[in-house]
Amino acid sequence: MSIIKKIRDLDTRIIYALAWIFVLFPLISPLGLPIPISADAIAWNNYVTDEVQDGDTVIFSLMYGTSGMPELFPMSVATMKHILEKDVKIVVVHFWTEGPLVFNALLGQVDPADYGKVYGEDWIRLGYIPGSETAMGSLATSFQKTVPNDYVERKPLDSFAIMDDIKSAEDIDLIISFETGTPGTPEWLRQWNTPYGVPQITGCIGVSVPGMIPYMNSGQLKALMPGLTVSAEYEVLLNKPGLAVAGVDAVSTSHLLVVLLVIIGNVAYFMTREEGQ
Amino acid sequence: MVDLLPVWIAVFCTLGIYSILYRENNWFRLAESAYLGCAVGYGVSQDLLYIRNQLIAQWSNGGLAILLFVITLIVGVLWYGRFNKDYFYLYRWPLAIVVGTGIGMALKTVVFTQFLDQIIAQANTPFFVAGDIGGTINNLLIHLMVPSILLYFWFTGTIRDSGPMKVVGKVARYTMMAGFGSAYGYTILTRYSLFIGRSQFLLGLPPNAAEARLAFMVIAAVMLLSMIGYDMIAKKEQPE
Amino acid sequence: MKMSDSLKRIEIPIALTIIATLLQVIPYYLELPPVKTAADQVATLSLTVVAMATFIGVISIVQVHGKRIQRKSEGWPFSIIVVLLAATMILTGLPFPEVGLGVDNAIFQYLFINALTPLGGTMYSIIAFFITSAAFRAFRAKNIESSIVLIAGTLMVMSNAPIFVNTFPIFADIGLWIRNVPNMATMRAVMMGAALGAISLAIRTLMGIERGYLKGGGEE
Repeated sequence: MSIIKKIRDLDTRIIYALAWIFVLFPLISPLGLPIPISADAIAWNNYVTDEVQDGDTVIFSLMYGTSGMPELFPMSVATMKHILEKDVKIVVVHFWTEGPLVFNALLGQVDPADYGKVYGEDWIRLGYIPGSETAMGSLATSFQKTVPNDYVERKPLDSFAIMDDIKSAEDIDLIISFETGTPGTPEWLRQWNTPYGVPQITGCIGVSVPGMIPYMNSGQLKALMPGLTVSAEYEVLLNKPGLAVAGVDAVSTSHLLVVLLVIIGNVAYFMTREEGQ
Repeated sequence: MVDLLPVWIAVFCTLGIYSILYRENNWFRLAESAYLGCAVGYGVSQDLLYIRNQLIAQWSNGGLAILLFVITLIVGVLWYGRFNKDYFYLYRWPLAIVVGTGIGMALKTVVFTQFLDQIIAQANTPFFVAGDIGGTINNLLIHLMVPSILLYFWFTGTIRDSGPMKVVGKVARYTMMAGFGSAYGYTILTRYSLFIGRSQFLLGLPPNAAEARLAFMVIAAVMLLSMIGYDMIAKKEQPE
Repeated sequence: MKMSDSLKRIEIPIALTIIATLLQVIPYYLELPPVKTAADQVATLSLTVVAMATFIGVISIVQVHGKRIQRKSEGWPFSIIVVLLAATMILTGLPFPEVGLGVDNAIFQYLFINALTPLGGTMYSIIAFFITSAAFRAFRAKNIESSIVLIAGTLMVMSNAPIFVNTFPIFADIGLWIRNVPNMATMRAVMMGAALGAISLAIRTLMGIERGYLKGGGEE
């Protein structure tokens, strides 16, 4: 059997082994490749820096579970660090079941107290609300009716100073959403942006990016963080390298592997097809 | 020793799932079963917490609020008519309310968010951008591509064989293929990002526990050797 | 006709769907404060109705895996693990923090951090391997259309990797162009088509024509 045919019929497990090698190698021995900064990272950084004003009220929502953590957790941590440097009120709410516990993991990386933020005055957690888009619409109408108690102290929302001026979507200045699917940006836009005009920025996994571009083009979405690579660029811009920067070399080598396999696979296919003909 | 156990369990769970890459095996089935059990249990705990919070809030409001909440609880119990043939019809009532509310929530704004706003954005895309030939070409392409795809979706059947529709169809298909290629590229990014995250954990890279690396090597060796050894024995025992 | 027979009529859930839908839609377009108040109340209470469905999955799992354990069918030891872990998470996660149960319970946290988190993260990452294998075996330039997918996909992969962008910065521009022009056009058209489809589905549901969600139970 010619070598080309052997390559064409390569055992799948060898391909899997190559994937392991191409990912593990740069993690064990970092290549230190420079990280070019893209327009997306600059736009996100600029929006959070310039458009989020002191005194604003921001919704910070982790719309993902453990399955999305590797890609979305780094950008969530970096963005949280960025907005904590500002004098803004932060309302943390989730419409994904695992959101609260993912946020617990985020608190293990970022402590608002280190930025002088006091729970109940500067930030508050509302926990998980079941019901997907209906829950998002209900929250937009009335925070207090949808979520009677906060997530941490289990006290009525009105007992916290931060909620004195927060009753509905009309009191929110920005939504920051990190998401892996549904419910996500379309639901936010339908329930918060279209009826109340609340602006939104979204960090999402790569798979979701193509579907977000029409919203970016129409201006419904103000900024987009599309995946791990741009997340690494954002960490570089903030001068706070973290999880994303640590993984970006492996992104390069894994993508190199895919490109090589596509080329080799097609070359082997066409050469053996000609032989067969 | 006790401190190491959580890390070893987490590594075992991770490698148990990855063991499917070698072949279907019991390590994978063990991990898969654990995932199913934990995921179901976790979802229930979050829902019950929400119900409890609502119960306490409505109770403190008193009067009509309590009555409405009791009615809500009764409606919620009707879900479980699903499990009895004689009472299956009751399951449809809460389903109808939830589906209707969800449809209504989405319907009231979907025409603006995903239709009118997109048409406005398309109409506001200028044909010519002064001083930017690249921008002009891109905008002209968008003005060509979007209507082509819409026409391609809306007009099916023999009309597609007509002269103009053949051209429209080609433009639409080629545009969509390029779009799907873009989706493929981003899918690669996502899936490898997830794999990189797990690899960082297995290698014990900060902020993950450093002990994970030893657990990774030991458990991977045990799993691989057990599967390879089993295959070798099974092959030997096979009648010639 | 007996009372129970009239309660089984399909018209009842259809009417409930129509009322629930119109209750949400009408106050958005017409200034009717009492209807708006009722709509908001129904929306909030429906969240509790949704949450109360939580045990459907649990009961289904217990039915399937319980049967497997009872009959000692193939894979029954794994079914014990499913049922055991589900029961442990549910019991330790019950919302009674007064007695040490709930999301802060030590066992609940232990299982979430050391089992659910790695399992969940790994389950979706495994597709990376399958997609790599597919890139080698199935991604072929057999005709014009598949060639366009291949070329656009490969260029997109290159634009997402710093190793290519550092070497040839033009890959970043090419990737952006693919994303912002043909992909944007495709997604915009798909979005508009899907919105029309959603509206027509909603109208069909409102008219009682669409009944797929009510199927089951061995009757109409």
